[in-house]
Amino acid sequence: MKRILLLAAIEVFVWFILLLITFVISKEVIEISFGIGTLLERVATQTVRLLVSATLILGWLLAWKKVADLYLSRMLRRHGTSA
Amino acid sequence: MNSAINLGITFTVTFVATFATTPIVANAMRSRGITGVDVHKTSKTKVPEMCGLAIIIGLAIGAIVYCLTMTLAVREAAAFIGTVLIAGAIGIMDDVHPLGARTKPLLTALACVPILVLGTYVPYPTIPFYGTIRLTIVYPILIPIAIAVTSNSINMMDVMNGSMPGTVAIIAFTMLGVLLWSSELRTATLASGLLAAMLAFFYFNRFPARVFGGDTGSLSVGAALGALAILGRIEAVTVVALIPHIMNSFYGLSSVRGLRERREILQRPTELLDDGLLRASSRKGAPVTLARLILAAGPLGEKDVVRAMMMLTAVSSLLAVFTYWIMVYVK
Repeated sequence: MKRILLLAAIEVFVWFILLLITFVISKEVIEISFGIGTLLERVATQTVRLLVSATLILGWLLAWKKVADLYLSRMLRRHGTSA
Repeated sequence: MNSAINLGITFTVTFVATFATTPIVANAMRSRGITGVDVHKTSKTKVPEMCGLAIIIGLAIGAIVYCLTMTLAVREAAAFIGTVLIAGAIGIMDDVHPLGARTKPLLTALACVPILVLGTYVPYPTIPFYGTIRLTIVYPILIPIAIAVTSNSINMMDVMNGSMPGTVAIIAFTMLGVLLWSSELRTATLASGLLAAMLAFFYFNRFPARVFGGDTGSLSVGAALGALAILGRIEAVTVVALIPHIMNSFYGLSSVRGLRERREILQRPTELLDDGLLRASSRKGAPVTLARLILAAGPLGEKDVVRAMMMLTAVSSLLAVFTYWIMVYVK
């Protein structure tokens, strides 16, 4: 049961960070604007929004992987083997 | 009232069709020598493969009945079953002659063609905290990616007796609930069909498995989930419900550094002990899968590992429902 609780905690962490990122993208990233007057301004605005969002999502995936790796190595070490 | 009756009829017909067809398909596969070794058992029993065909048959019969009872929803049903059939055909190809690690996701992405051709998508997905977002150009590009991700994620979770139908039944039940909540009755009826097919197949595939779904089953079921998410406009909810599956495939892919066909990966994530229990591999190059994470805290029987997978899916499904609540009530 304890192992399920720990893995469920990872799930909740992953979900919470995902929601947090969605919140930041919808409230902050979407507000980034370099103007909409010219095509260049529109492209710059969309590109920066996309890059910032992609970076946040990449960070989410990395954090997710880090937490799982940490859990795996600690559990394997505790049970007498090493990863 | 009519919708409830249609939902009930689709559920019952799909359940009966899948339940009745599975043993017939299993016997046909066994007589043709299409069997696979149950690797997580010391006895190394041979089990009929490709029985996921019964799921496809069940879903197809359910969809036909759905069309007969809901004549206005033929397009949705055609898009849904078309996607399932294409993914199933790719699964059959993979079961008969294993496809390459890159070919499989590329081909499964093509399963979305019926959705695109019939135009049964709305390019305005709802994002938590933001509301509806307009993605008229990007959305059709994301559909093949979504179908490839769901079908291959479910495929990678089909590693132990009952793990695929057990976890997908929980997700399908969650989707059914959310679709009813959002008054998407047509897609809810299709989701009830998937739930019925999974419950019927779980009966045969649960520990100790009497049938294996093969890639035929897992790819078609994954594509069905992706199609339901798109048709029912519950993309975010589905992503959250699929966290254990995405976890499993994402960890697996990142730990073996990219797309690899499972037959190419020499190290196994788990090891079978003499007493029949499974333990996590401690080898450095072994893929990090959900089963390995569950077993890292000590050896367990296959049945208990699958139970843990189902409990984790239940947790993610609860989070998915909570996500939908946020989407509806928090702006």
